[in-house]
Amino acid sequence: MENMANKVARIPNLVDWSTGEVRLMSAKCASCGTYFFPKEHYQHRPGCSREGVEDVLLPQKGKLASYTIQYYPCPAPFKTEKKITPYGIGLVEFEGEKIQITGIITDTDLKSLKIGMEMETTLLDMYTNKEKQQVVTWAFTAVK
Amino acid sequence: MKSFYDAIVNLKGMMTMRDVYIIGTGIHPWMGFSEQVFADFAAVAVDNALKDASIEWKKIEAIMAGIFIYGGNAGHLSGQYLESIFGETGIPVVNVYNACATGSASIRMAYNSIAAGETETTLAFGADVSPKGFLTAKSDNAVQDRDVIRWKMGGLPNPIYWALECRKRMEKYGTTEEDLALVKVLMSEYGSKNPHARFKKTYSIEEVLKSVYVCDPLRLYEICPVSTGGAAVILTADEELIAKADNPVKINATTMGSAIYGDPTIRISALSCPSVPEAPMLSESYSASRQAYEKSGIGPEDIDVLELPDNSSWHYLVYLETCGFCGEGEADKMLRDGETKIGAKLAVNPSGGFSSHGEALSAQALWQVIECANQLRGRCGERQVEGAKVAMAQTYGLMGNSGTTIMTI
Repeated sequence: MENMANKVARIPNLVDWSTGEVRLMSAKCASCGTYFFPKEHYQHRPGCSREGVEDVLLPQKGKLASYTIQYYPCPAPFKTEKKITPYGIGLVEFEGEKIQITGIITDTDLKSLKIGMEMETTLLDMYTNKEKQQVVTWAFTAVK
Repeated sequence: MKSFYDAIVNLKGMMTMRDVYIIGTGIHPWMGFSEQVFADFAAVAVDNALKDASIEWKKIEAIMAGIFIYGGNAGHLSGQYLESIFGETGIPVVNVYNACATGSASIRMAYNSIAAGETETTLAFGADVSPKGFLTAKSDNAVQDRDVIRWKMGGLPNPIYWALECRKRMEKYGTTEEDLALVKVLMSEYGSKNPHARFKKTYSIEEVLKSVYVCDPLRLYEICPVSTGGAAVILTADEELIAKADNPVKINATTMGSAIYGDPTIRISALSCPSVPEAPMLSESYSASRQAYEKSGIGPEDIDVLELPDNSSWHYLVYLETCGFCGEGEADKMLRDGETKIGAKLAVNPSGGFSSHGEALSAQALWQVIECANQLRGRCGERQVEGAKVAMAQTYGLMGNSGTTIMTI
């Protein structure tokens, strides 16, 4: 992906691309084994000591567990420069981490969507900010 | 007002919870956006409840108020605003918010206050004015409130969450688009017979299937909008008031549930869910309903009328399973076979449901209880479930909120 350096996430601490691969920022509890996303969204197993929560990056690829196609624009504060409606929303499963995460589906033929297909994490350009940076969100795309 | 001595004597009542009855209910009919303020709607509902119960305002010993979250300071202190309209008497006024299960919280607090002997006669109410346009984020702090993330970055209006679950259901159990449309057909037929309903037009399967997708597989007529409305319920253990009431309705249980770790449902406002289930879907509603069955000794097989939260056609199906009216994946067959119609053993949403009303957050759970009470009191005219003796109102609120109320006559 070109010009990664000039991109900035609309809200920090959700998606990382510093390694060159786009990956979601999760946290894992060493005590109960639960993964969280966003990483501050703690959902410990009852009785867990809650000790040893560490930041982890999720794998880049997962499987489509469910999806929908949204036919009307998402209201503000959501915004994109380009019209994206209708857009796909996927629920992508990271099997080893036992977690499913929602995300906009981009750069994929929406008619080709099928539960079980392989998806990878990517970035979606939203708009350019005052500092001329490209503001982005995380998204999923079908593995080609 | 009760004296301190009376309060001590009443401690005895706390050891043996006493029976609590609904003696008055009131509704302000559901509608779209209004320039009127929420307190106007609340006042109409409360006035109607007082008239129905044939009691004067001064008989009310506590107010359990549902918070109107879009109403600023007034909405957050809705009970105080309501009390000042009818006249302030110094009684306890508690304001509560549990998303769309707010009304469940208010009636449960009213019930517990009376059952424990703290009060004799208590009011629960809620009123909401639909915000113009869409519901959206209410803060700007993404670390504190992940709702901000779903709106700013996720592109996730509420119906998307239902569509994601609905798609999973279709894949797993073979639910069809016709099944989803059939829910609306049934709800519109009942809604057309309900004077309190906002939407009174009836639809055929073909008409529903022609309506546009909002988020595939859910269509415009298969999801409910936000509405304006008010509802009030007066509960009592006062024997004199019960004796003079028109068909008082006994509350056998009124409970609330929260979610259970490992619930695989993708909850509204969340960005993730577990992929390996360790708890039932919609576990907050599983919890609330099972508590109610246990407390009341009444089970799904005993229930004549069920008001469930049909925020979408998917909800209608899944709630029959969550609450134990059939096994997992069996609701579609129940629907197709006509086992949820008025006239069948179980009548589901004879009111026309949220599909015919829309959601009025703090009022809707009470409105469901009122429909149940009206059915038990034989007041439902063309949509009356003949001989209804046992009814259940089931709510669903986002982020793990739910309530169940079981009533008998």
